Amino acid sequence: MAATEAPLAPAIAPPPPVTVQDAARSSDRSRVHLARLANRRWSLLWLLVGPGILAMLGENDGPSMIAYASDGAQYGIGFFVPFIPLLFAMAFVCQEMCMRVGAVTHRGYGELVLQRFGPVWGWFAAADLTLTNLITLVAEFVSIRVGLAYFHLGSVVAVVLGLTLVVFTFSGGRYWRWERIVLGMALFNGLFLLAAILVKPHVGALARSFDFTPFPGGSFNTLLLLLASTIGATVTPWMIFFQQGASADKGMTPRDISHGRYDTAAGAVLAAIFGIGALVAGAALVSRGGAGIQGFAGAGYPQALSHVVGSAAGTVFALGLIEAGAVAILTISASTAYAAAECVGVTHSFNSFPREAALFYAANFGVALLAALVILIPGAPLLSIALNANVLATVLLPVSLVFMVMLANDRGLMGRFANRRSTNVIGIAVIAFVGICGAAYGIDSFLLATHVIG
Amino acid sequence: MKPRDAGCAELGRPTPPPAAKPARTAEPDPVPVEAGPAAVEAGPAAVEAAPENELIMHLERDQFVAETSRPVARATLGRYAVPALWALRVFAVTVSAMVVYTFITQLN
Repeated sequence: MAATEAPLAPAIAPPPPVTVQDAARSSDRSRVHLARLANRRWSLLWLLVGPGILAMLGENDGPSMIAYASDGAQYGIGFFVPFIPLLFAMAFVCQEMCMRVGAVTHRGYGELVLQRFGPVWGWFAAADLTLTNLITLVAEFVSIRVGLAYFHLGSVVAVVLGLTLVVFTFSGGRYWRWERIVLGMALFNGLFLLAAILVKPHVGALARSFDFTPFPGGSFNTLLLLLASTIGATVTPWMIFFQQGASADKGMTPRDISHGRYDTAAGAVLAAIFGIGALVAGAALVSRGGAGIQGFAGAGYPQALSHVVGSAAGTVFALGLIEAGAVAILTISASTAYAAAECVGVTHSFNSFPREAALFYAANFGVALLAALVILIPGAPLLSIALNANVLATVLLPVSLVFMVMLANDRGLMGRFANRRSTNVIGIAVIAFVGICGAAYGIDSFLLATHVIG
Repeated sequence: MKPRDAGCAELGRPTPPPAAKPARTAEPDPVPVEAGPAAVEAGPAAVEAAPENELIMHLERDQFVAETSRPVARATLGRYAVPALWALRVFAVTVSAMVVYTFITQLN
């Protein structure tokens, strides 16, 4: 009898239970499907951009822009104009891997490291991130304070502004809303380009600087500091956690990888242009021997620019610092929240409400609050903290990058979306370069500090 | 050794049948019908009342919270990978300590 029965229909797995988070993500994805079906290319691009631009422009944060401006003020634009795009090209290689792993696995970096390589490595990664994020967030509040000081406003306003923004972006329990608010703010990073235009740079000198000359002078240690802090201004551990977590939270899939690449590339190009803007604006101070750096803890850079090239440039630079700090507070806090909630194994999505993802939102706000409290401490060494934040990030970055490359090569996870050989070669070269620069500065500085070398 | 396009075997889920999950290279998904933000904002009850199939059409099966909550299998690291990772970790911590020491010295 059995042989004469009609063949059974293929078994269909029952649909998984739908949570509020799934429903919200599904709603966002429905627009992507519609745009793809209707072949609306620009609409599709608009829907899929976000994590890449946010990671890149978020990294054009207060300390980074100050680092670029310092480079310009002390050494002029030579060497750094081509060096900054080179660094962002390196950042693109790393961030593209994060986007791809997030889109294929639908999981964050911390979660994957913890589950795939064990809790020790997962918690190490989260601890690294929390430490560097906390220090960097202090530097972001410093940056807002520096910008506000130009307008004669103090630390308390900086703290209230930063924390209010964090709480404001939580509203709605939707990743899409959070992303668009932060994306809108991030575009004001272009203020640094405006500042560069206002200082009226010599176009011929800008064009000539693409031959990497003149090479910055000074001591070996200063050069290493310069390299380490500039690298730390471009590629950092939080970007890895953020872009992978945000790509998964956004609901990206392998079909979206090409758009994810456009998103990341657009972010890298914009960030490089705006970074060069800060460098060029800072270079306006080079004839004054980098004046303004010493007054950084007050309103140094904007004030110095205002004196040298006019109040418009100073005002725009100050507003840029406020924007850079504010956007970075949002993205860096988010990366901390993703890492903490992923490692603990609880809900980690902006598509959930605070009552459903208490740890995620608490970590997001808590780390910002802790950093804010530091800048309220009278006499805290804010300048030193800001300048060392990038260096520490550079030193800890190779570990995060190694795990990133391992995940992107994991064919069990990634299947045919795993890294190609050429991506691995570039990725390993980036890790080696970052590792050598960070270690060289750390060791050389330590030997100088302990008077082992003169 | 796994073939190059073996799929994502370690994501801790059975491979869904074609009817339940279209292949990534398949034609675009059917025209979706949005559950609507109102249902999403209204919470779980409204979401459950919404037609589930329509929501599922917009998400790959492994995107659902129920699926991503399942841990991926532990990777088997090579013979030299674990010592190399520990060496990198010790190196990073040591250099970080040097940077922090230098920072504190400069403050003083």
